[in-house]
Amino acid sequence: MKHRKNPLMMINPFIAFVFILLLFPVTSLADKEIKITDPASVVVIVNRDSNDIAFMDIETHKIIGSVFLGKNVNPHMAMMSKDGRWVVTGGTRSNKAYIIDVATLTLKKEIAVGFAPEHLAFSPDGRYYYQGNPDDDSVSVIDMVSMTEIKRIPGFAEPLNITFTPDGSKAYVGNYGAHWVGVIDVSRHELLKKIYVGEVPEIASLDPERYLGDIKGISNVSISNDGRYLYAADGDLGIVSVIDSREDKVIKQIRVGADPWRAYMSHHGNYAVVANNGDATISIIDLKKNEVVATLESGPDIMGINFAAGKAFVVSSSSGFLYVYDMTSLTAAGRIKIGKNLQIETATTDTAGEKLYLASSTDHSVYIIDGKTEAVTRVANVGLYPWGTHILDSKDNYCH
Amino acid sequence: MFSLLLTMSVNTQADDNQEQLLNHIKELEQRIIELETTTVLSDPETRVKQIEVFVDANGIEHDTQVPGSKRRITYQRERVYRRQTINEKISEAMEDASNRNVQLGVDAAIIIQNVQQHRGDNKTADGNFYQLASTDLYFTAGLAQYTLFFADIVGLSGTPPNNEIDGLTLANGYAARLVQQNDLSLREAWLMTELWDQKISLVVGRLDLTNYFDANAAANDETSQFLSDALVNNPALGLSENGAGMAVLYDPKKSFSFRMGYQQSTSTASNLSDALFLLLEAGYQLNPFHLGEGNYRIWYREDNTGSGTNAVGVSIDQKLTAGITFFARYGSAENAASSNREKHYSTGLQFAGGLGFNPEDTLGIGYAYTNPVSVEKEKLLEAYYNLAMTEKLHLTFNLTYLQEQRASASTDAYVIPGMRLQASF
Repeated sequence: MKHRKNPLMMINPFIAFVFILLLFPVTSLADKEIKITDPASVVVIVNRDSNDIAFMDIETHKIIGSVFLGKNVNPHMAMMSKDGRWVVTGGTRSNKAYIIDVATLTLKKEIAVGFAPEHLAFSPDGRYYYQGNPDDDSVSVIDMVSMTEIKRIPGFAEPLNITFTPDGSKAYVGNYGAHWVGVIDVSRHELLKKIYVGEVPEIASLDPERYLGDIKGISNVSISNDGRYLYAADGDLGIVSVIDSREDKVIKQIRVGADPWRAYMSHHGNYAVVANNGDATISIIDLKKNEVVATLESGPDIMGINFAAGKAFVVSSSSGFLYVYDMTSLTAAGRIKIGKNLQIETATTDTAGEKLYLASSTDHSVYIIDGKTEAVTRVANVGLYPWGTHILDSKDNYCH
Repeated sequence: MFSLLLTMSVNTQADDNQEQLLNHIKELEQRIIELETTTVLSDPETRVKQIEVFVDANGIEHDTQVPGSKRRITYQRERVYRRQTINEKISEAMEDASNRNVQLGVDAAIIIQNVQQHRGDNKTADGNFYQLASTDLYFTAGLAQYTLFFADIVGLSGTPPNNEIDGLTLANGYAARLVQQNDLSLREAWLMTELWDQKISLVVGRLDLTNYFDANAAANDETSQFLSDALVNNPALGLSENGAGMAVLYDPKKSFSFRMGYQQSTSTASNLSDALFLLLEAGYQLNPFHLGEGNYRIWYREDNTGSGTNAVGVSIDQKLTAGITFFARYGSAENAASSNREKHYSTGLQFAGGLGFNPEDTLGIGYAYTNPVSVEKEKLLEAYYNLAMTEKLHLTFNLTYLQEQRASASTDAYVIPGMRLQASF
């Protein structure tokens, strides 16, 4: 009996493959509605407990939509790619990185990364997304073209924030579980060197409880506007070390207040403001002289610092206040009460440097603060436990 | 040929897939182990939240405002998918329990001093050693929102040099606390509440008004800075004892602040009108030439003790660099026994950063001049080095030069080396 050939089998498999490839994008785009045409027109909101990333229209203050990531994901930080096409986030409890398509508000990819991913950064060319995995002591390298983890760089000690140099050749990693800054060679995705930021004083041997207990190292390496110098605050040592990025060498140690969390760079690039959570103060560093020019009283549990309208706004998480400082006279300029019994988190500033978008976790809101008038507008019900906000090209995109 | 290449490619791809699959299974197994060991595999977390609702005339609750509805604050259970590690759960529970309890703090100090007289008629103090031990127990409890109770019980025992030197001010500032040897005494017990968006603080109870008036960043604390009372307080302030009182502090967290208060300063009063001191102070903070912050305060005092009814003073601390602070005080007080006013001034420098033992060390040098009435004068020069041995234990070495000029007596001068071991936890 002669077998009759299936007509489908007669088609060259290669031609069929090319045909499917060509057809796929057309059909997939046709299925998905474009919800965001201008990525610069939205505030990205990280909702830790509803496990989603919400997108709020900057003009109307309406939630355009949100992307659910999965139960118990607990996203920590989100960032938009330079071209505004993607938003990435790390799920602290799912050990995954997520890539969201901004235009259609759909989850494009879930990628397994190291343990407890939190802070992240894009390389300046947008090709790579580095995801820090603090409980895994590693940094995952995600290739944004293949959307895969191409490497997991080991050898860190509780890596938190990641800072790329403007030319994209190096990335600096703050290690909260150590007193050194990791330098990654981006071309090879390898830990190139460890920059030792400062001496633990000899007399520390009398105080093992302090230095051997809960280590408070470096949470972030902040970069000067020209990309030349890096400022690494070390919590236990109470210093900010200035690193010359050309030589990867500490050129100065600046003593600040107790338990400094990190330095926040003013938009003009003339000052860095350091949040000292040990004594509830801020230290203002003149970046030309690399000296502290003011140490001012602030509030407890500082989560972030934003700049707008010539002022610095310090987020005091547990008090529900924003402490305000005049960046010309370098003096205190009052405080803004956001609300009672609130825990306020982190904020971003719009690209015009006029308004702040502050996440308030315990009342599921985002507060919009006009930097000039200090008027406050509440946008309620943005999702559960909003933890952070992000705006494309904002100078104040940071996380806890 | 093409089909052969295709077959080989398919086989290689199958091998790769199998290896990837095995790696993936291995990774998943590792993750399950990590999850089981560190994570509470719990149900969704439930918690009670304060929420804002809108209730209409019919008592129907709405999430958003509807015509005729009123805004109300209520509480509601909320369920979320938040997974916490065991450590986080334990930390949260411990922090919660700690917040509900009374907080206890201890500040203990032992001060040893030696007096060497090198000028004037020979006094009994010459060559003697003195030792004072002091312990403060602090109790703090949150009673309501923005309302705090604080009590300080002090026990003091020992011999300060003040009695044998007979100085115009206390060579050991701790002695100001000494009411009765070996007895526990209540130094402070007050309630503090914050009002008007926490711009105003109201403190009522048994107070030490020097905590709120005539403050100074570099010379205000005998437990960590200068030991001599003349460099820690302004004698013109006139407060000799703690007592019942009230303080109102207005602090909008801008450059300007204002405070007023009254306090009784005698332990033998029979009513609140006895030995009553009224104080007013205005403070301003500025940053001249971006040197660093400077605090400038001016105060005024009135009292009904009869020994003098008013005084005025200033207290300044100004950073010259990030590590050097200049300080100065001036006070002028009316004296009922003389047409002249009592005068006091002090000045000095504080250096942060120490001499390289520990960056948290401080050292200071200060000079104080006190002229209570026409011919009596006291000049005092003190230097100290505060070595931060640990966060909770500090050892301070200090050296004081004291010159006392009294009416119808010789001018005496003393050198007083001392040491203070202080623990606070």
